[in-house]
Amino acid sequence: SYFIFFSFQQRIEIHKLRQGDNLILGFSIGGGIDQDPAQNPFSEDKTDKGIYVTRVTEGGPAEVAGLQIGDKIMQVNGWDMTMVTHDQARKRLTKRNEEVVRLLVTRQSLQKAVQQSMMS
Amino acid sequence: MEVAGRGQRLQMQEKLRILEDLNMLYIRQIAISLQDTEIQRKMERELRLREGACKLLAACSRREQALEAAKSLLVCNSRVLAYMAELQRRKEAQVLRRTARRPSDAGPTDERLPCRGTVCISDLRIPLMWKDTEYFRNKGELHRCAVFCLLQLGAEIHDTPMVLVDRTLTDICFESAVLFSEAGPDFELKVELYSAGLAGGSAQGSTPRKLATRLSTSLGRSSGKRVRAAMDGAPGSPPGNGGTSPLLLPAPSVPGPKFHLLAHAVLSLAEVQDGFRTHDLAIASNEESSFWLPLYGSMCCRLAAQPRCMAAPVTSGFLRLQQPGAEAQSGARLYCVLRGTDLLCYHDPGEAEAGLEPALTIAVNKETRIRAAEREGRGQPHGMAVTNRYGGEEVTHTLLAESRAEAQRWMEAFWQHFYDMSQWKQCCDELMRIEVPPPRRPPAMLPRQGSLYHEMAIDPSDDIEAVTDILTQRAGGRVPGTPPWLSLFEEPPLHATPSGRATSPSPPARRPWGRPRTLSLDAKLSTLKGRGARRAAPPQHPLPHGSSSSSSGSSSPAMEHDHPGPLQSQV
Repeated sequence: SYFIFFSFQQRIEIHKLRQGDNLILGFSIGGGIDQDPAQNPFSEDKTDKGIYVTRVTEGGPAEVAGLQIGDKIMQVNGWDMTMVTHDQARKRLTKRNEEVVRLLVTRQSLQKAVQQSMMS
Repeated sequence: MEVAGRGQRLQMQEKLRILEDLNMLYIRQIAISLQDTEIQRKMERELRLREGACKLLAACSRREQALEAAKSLLVCNSRVLAYMAELQRRKEAQVLRRTARRPSDAGPTDERLPCRGTVCISDLRIPLMWKDTEYFRNKGELHRCAVFCLLQLGAEIHDTPMVLVDRTLTDICFESAVLFSEAGPDFELKVELYSAGLAGGSAQGSTPRKLATRLSTSLGRSSGKRVRAAMDGAPGSPPGNGGTSPLLLPAPSVPGPKFHLLAHAVLSLAEVQDGFRTHDLAIASNEESSFWLPLYGSMCCRLAAQPRCMAAPVTSGFLRLQQPGAEAQSGARLYCVLRGTDLLCYHDPGEAEAGLEPALTIAVNKETRIRAAEREGRGQPHGMAVTNRYGGEEVTHTLLAESRAEAQRWMEAFWQHFYDMSQWKQCCDELMRIEVPPPRRPPAMLPRQGSLYHEMAIDPSDDIEAVTDILTQRAGGRVPGTPPWLSLFEEPPLHATPSGRATSPSPPARRPWGRPRTLSLDAKLSTLKGRGARRAAPPQHPLPHGSSSSSSGSSSPAMEHDHPGPLQSQV
């Protein structure tokens, strides 16, 4: 048997939680075209300057919606996130007038596969 | 000798005027022979605007006026070139049509043409990549450029408003939508980013040369050659470039800022999508140019298209829906409208106009099969069998027309519709949303873009001298006097940032990196002093600057910074 490393896209809908004056999603992001991609522990390609989920608050709206640490955020409510600065990314997620954010993320998965024997 | 040089220049200008008149005569002849006055009118209008822009450029003293005038000049020139090219293209087409009437050249006399459509490009965003060790020009001055985009489809050219760009901006954004209403599926939308350096006057740019080359190639070959020969060896013409035809261009002695092509991209049907996409930019300059900006090399935008066959009804009329196995005239008489991916069948035209739900909707898409249903027998009307696959089943609707002519009309409409769908491809899967932008405000002063100065909330009672001193120190100890940037602001006292900020409780859209928010002037000034002193040592990691102000406020973020790990933000 051997491992297959592949990635797939996932749509995540997060309903923000109101905490006082703020709407929070319950995760942290890293990355951005103005950041150093070599420091990203989650990316396959160390020149990838995309936005990655670096932390997910336990029991928070993001975890409930199915977001996972290491997910790469491709879009937020239709806005592209693959070519944004860190601050732009943060802003796209924290718009005051949006209670729901729909993310398109890419997730990598490790699967164990059983090699079909060609002989038998 | 100066006098001799001037005399030669005047002679040259006289020649240019004559050539320009000849050129316009040539263009007018083409327009007359085509019986097309519309393009000629548009061109003369642009030429008048160009005259005005030239005069304004020569006369104005304010920087922002000069920039707007230089921009108008470039836009007018581009439009004139586009109209001339269009006229010549139409003339060529006319000549070809006439010569092709000979039987030996016979092709299909009525070639099917795809329908026109509306193409909309919006939310243009061009990211910049400022490095922490990037260059500073002219003794540490902040490198600034004024930029705008030209969007061209066919002979239609639109320009975006101008934006000031400096190191504090992370993206160049042009959000408003631009529509082109007569595009074909083979359209080519050219996006050109023009830039003018603002650190002092730039030298004679290459724009006149570039335009001249384009212009001389669009003229007749012999007159183009003559013009080029006339200009070679003229005083002041740059060596090594033969295409210095300055027809329809301002006299070389016009001072002021000049825009140069910084980057461009060409978009076509393949790039159309109902969403945002990233495209590559071809960059046309290098770091040496005064108008250079560190572009990331890509451009994001939303490019949507609405072909007419999707947006508007293709055809309509009465058809009878025949029940399978029943008599020909027994089916319901329905008012049918072919639009987009459906044939909508109503009980009467009133229902269609009222926008009510149709009685029956039959899909008409790439998978639909339509064949003419001819029945033998006297008085039998002709009809069509429309077959679709719903789930695993094939469903056929038979529609009968009221006369043979009607049946033919419907079949032709269906064939045209299928052809349009095959040409417009993904635009016919679903109607793409296009918003008509509100009419553009006339360009007033340059909008204040993100810059360090906007962060400062200055009380009018504060001493403006102190502020000026500190800022000039920061700029590298220039001679005290009016710093160049002050000319960009109309009112003498530096205003606070745009109104929303002073009163709203939410934090400002941009903050210096890593520092707590403060509106106190003292804190800001000491920050600036500190920065100025630290100029020599480059910061350790790239400073992420706030992006240009977004329209909706953002909730208060908690920016954490895990030393020495990568930057993370909690949302």
